[in-house]
This record gives sequence, C-alpha cells and structure tokens, in this order.
Amino acid sequence: MRYTARKILTLLVTMLVVSLLTFAAFDMISGDPAATLLGTQATPEKVEALRTEMGLNRPMLVRYGEWLAGFFTGNLGVSFQYRQPVQALLGPKMLVTLCLSLVSFVLIVVVSLPLGLLSANGKLDGLHTFLNQFCMAVPPFFTGILISWCFGICLRAFVPGDFPGLDRNLGKSLVYLFFAAVSIAIPRVAMTVRMLRSTVISEMNKPYVRTAIARGNDRRQVLWGHVLKNSLVPTVTFLGQTMAEIVAGSIVVEQVFSVPGLGRMLVASISSQDYPVVEAIVVILAFWVVLSGTLADLVNRCIDPRMGGIGK
Amino acid sequence: MKKRNPYLTVGLVMTGILTALIVLGFFWTPYDPNAMAAGPKLTGPSLAHLMGTDSFGRDIFSRVLKGAGTTYGIALCTVAVGAVCGTVLGAVTGYFGGIVDDVLMRLGDVLTAFPSILLALVVISLLGPGKTGNVILALGLVFIPSFARMARGTYAGLREVNYVKSARLMGASSSRILWRHILPNTWSVLLPALTIGFNNAVLAEASMSYLCIGVTPPDASLGYMLSESQGMFMSAPWYALGTGLTLVWMVFGVGLIGEGLQRRGGGEV
Repeated sequence: MRYTARKILTLLVTMLVVSLLTFAAFDMISGDPAATLLGTQATPEKVEALRTEMGLNRPMLVRYGEWLAGFFTGNLGVSFQYRQPVQALLGPKMLVTLCLSLVSFVLIVVVSLPLGLLSANGKLDGLHTFLNQFCMAVPPFFTGILISWCFGICLRAFVPGDFPGLDRNLGKSLVYLFFAAVSIAIPRVAMTVRMLRSTVISEMNKPYVRTAIARGNDRRQVLWGHVLKNSLVPTVTFLGQTMAEIVAGSIVVEQVFSVPGLGRMLVASISSQDYPVVEAIVVILAFWVVLSGTLADLVNRCIDPRMGGIGK
Repeated sequence: MKKRNPYLTVGLVMTGILTALIVLGFFWTPYDPNAMAAGPKLTGPSLAHLMGTDSFGRDIFSRVLKGAGTTYGIALCTVAVGAVCGTVLGAVTGYFGGIVDDVLMRLGDVLTAFPSILLALVVISLLGPGKTGNVILALGLVFIPSFARMARGTYAGLREVNYVKSARLMGASSSRILWRHILPNTWSVLLPALTIGFNNAVLAEASMSYLCIGVTPPDASLGYMLSESQGMFMSAPWYALGTGLTLVWMVFGVGLIGEGLQRRGGGEV
C-alpha cells in the first residue's frame, strides 16, 4: 500500500514538473499571443487591452496554475490556428490515437511473447540475431509505405489515405488501424523477442534450473513452472516502455496512413506554430508515458511483492 | 578462445560500402541530384540510372547518395554532441556522487522514459522547425541523458576499484583519473552504446524529415525523400524502394557492428 501510494505520488510530482517545464518553455518562445491575434495593424493600446483581457500581464506561475486547473476541468485554451477550444479539437483525435495504440500493443504482445519463448531454446542464434537486427532497422514509415501499397493498392484490404472514422464505420476503421499498427509493431516485436529471449536464456543458466532438472523435470516443465514466472518482471517493465514507444511510433505512422490522431495534429501544429495545441498534446502524451511506466511498476509489485522494499 | 564473430564482419563490410559511397557522393554523383530532366521521366532502374528516375526526371541514385550523406552526417554530429556531453556529465556526477548526482539522475530517469522522437519534436518546436542546425541540436540534447546514465553507471561502479584507489593515493588529479584511468575501461560499454545511439539518431532524423519538420530541401535527407516518394509510389515505386532500402542498409549495418562489439566485450546479448 505504501509502495502504491509512493508510486502515485511520484507520478503526480513528475507530471507537475513536466507540465511546468512545458508550460514555461512554450511561454518563453510563443511571444505575445495578443499581438499575434491582432495582427500587424494593431495599436499598442489595443494589444495592451487584449493582454489584460487575456490575463497575459500576470506572472507566469499564476497563469500556469490556471492552465493546470483548466487542464483538469477540460479547458485547454484556444487554438491560434483554428480559433476553437483545444479540447474540442483534440477529443476525437485522442480516441483515434488511443485505439491505434491499443491495437499496436495487443499485436506486439500476441506476436512477440510466443515468438520470444520459441526462440529461447538457444538454437539458431545467428539467424535470430540477423533477423532481429534487420527488423529493428526497418523504419515504421517505410513499412507503412510498403503496406499501403501491398495491402491497400494491390490487395484492396483498405483504402490508403481514406480513414473511415471510428463513429461512422468501426469495423473498417479497426482494419485500417490494424495495418497502421503492423508498421508500428514490427521493430518493437523484434526488440521484445530479443529481450525475452535473452531473459529466458539467462534464467535457464541459473542454479535453480539445474537443480530442477537434476530432480528429474524436463526443460519444458522447468520453463513453464519456474522460468516464466521469473522472467515476468523484466517483461512487464519492457512492455511499459513499449506503451511509451508506441506513442512515438504513432506520431510518424499516423502521417503515413493519414490517420487523424494526436500525432498528426502535433506535427501539423508544430509546423504552423500553434502553441496551445502543441502544449496540450505534449502534456497528454507525457502523461501517457509516465502513466505506463507507473502501471508497469505497480503490476510488477503484484507479481513480486519483494519489489520496492529495499533500494528501489 | 577466439570465437567467430560474423556480426562484426558483416556489419563493418556493410557500413564500409555505404560510407565509401557516401564519401564518393560528397565529391561526385553520376548526375546533379537536383537537376530536372537528367534523364527521361519515370524510368525504372537501368545502367544509366541505377535506381531509375522520378517524375521530374531526376536521377534517384544521385539523390540517394546525397540524402544518405545528409542523414549520415547529421547522425554523426548528433551522436558526437550526445556522447561527449553525456559522458562528461555522467562521468563527473558518477565519480563524485552527492546531491547533484541524485537530482540529475532522477531527471535523467524521467527523460529517458520519453521516446526520443517525442522529445526531439518538443525541442524542435521550441527552436523552430526546418533548420539543419536545430535538428542536430534537438537530437543531440535528446541523446545526452541516455549517454549520461550509462557513463554514470560505469563510473560509479569503478569509483572504488583498486586501481583507481591506488591512482588516487599516488596523487593523480581527479581529471586524470577520470580521463586516463577509468575512460579506457568504459569502452566495452561505450562503443556498443555509440552504435545504438547512431541508429536511433538516423531513425529519429529520418522520421523528422519524413514529417517535414527536420531538414528541408535543398538539403534532402532520406526521410524527406521517402515522404516525397510516397506521392509517386504508383508511377515510380523504385524511388521509395531505393531510398527506404538505403536507410535499412545503413541502420542494419551499424546495428550488426553494435551486436558484434557487444559480444566481443562479453556483455549480455
């Protein structure tokens, strides 16, 4: 219980620091939104009046506090570019990115866990390593282009560039997202398999395995009965990192497949220097990253209650 | 005792070929990479145009040579920035310890949890997108924490080793111990980390220019060329294939070198 509380406290503090840094950074560079809004023809008095009206002449920390309060009450400010409340812009996009991330995550887990265990028999080391390094070398956007061509244009499984929309056609959208998820998943699957393989192999070389085999168990029994449990903790930690990396993958892959998600919005807003939107998306993604790390820690604590007692 | 290490050999050969081609492309390319109508439009690979031509009649092989050079160069600069700053930071904090060490490493823990492309995008949006210098700076900054963390781990581990203690007793200065005594013993960890850093840098740079917020034309990089080729995939698939496979070749080669170095160092696979 104390462990959980401490983890959640750390999570909150980290989020606070991250959001403060983001806010301060964008506050520094974004110049004067009032002047930007009014354009070049504005008189200094008008700009000053709008600054007062928007509350820009108050200290940064006060505005940060307000922004943070707004973040939790669902008020993220107004986009420079679209002149719309940010939360209205981001709501549907968040859902799309969440779906894409979940599909990718499930795909990675379903494919890499069996592959990792299969490859952990220690044979064909060279082949595994070459294949692994190769899969890690293929950038998601290149896979994305190849997949759109092969499955989209040749096999007509989906129409590249034409995302149906989750609310209009859920089934078709999921198929569409599945193909995008494959290109995110390939390098991550390679990494997960590699991690799992080396974890299981190094567990298999430990004395308790030798003892178990000496007592007459065969390799399979030892693998399923003892080794898997002990390999679980590093795997969960790794999957936590994977959740974070998927977000990074989706930023690029959403662009390849024209999926209207947060990543695509982020890139577009960076290009058009729409700082309120960039700020909101960065904080949302950061929250996702920190949350997945904390979740992994908490799950590990359930698996192995010794964790968090001493040291970490 | 000496085991065969095909990874290192294959990796070095692959990277060597690519580096030679890039150096060649620096001085000479078959055609001007940006010249329109260097040949007929949209022709497939042939002897005159090794990777074909695009819809403007530009020679793709020449473009790939230049683009690979840009990507390669940026990745090298990035790794240099990240590795030098990170290692110095990690070495000093790891060796001396104390509260600065605690704070910096806590910060490093948080930063390394973030995917590098996300951090790089934040930094690039702060610095302003579309400039080569900013891309290097953004990516370099992003790679500092991971190098710092690694260096810190090794230096903290070697702080109380006998040869360091005896050097200290002999009156060696701290900087001499850090530089001459401990650094040579970190190579087995540092070198594979450099290759991994290089690959991450290549992929991050390519992703950013694919998203059109990294390097902008006329300095085409492989990522930007891929985004360009996506539009003409139907009419000139060799453009995307040539560009993408060059990128894969680059990362694969260096990845194998890293694998080989790791195994030679006797580290965990």
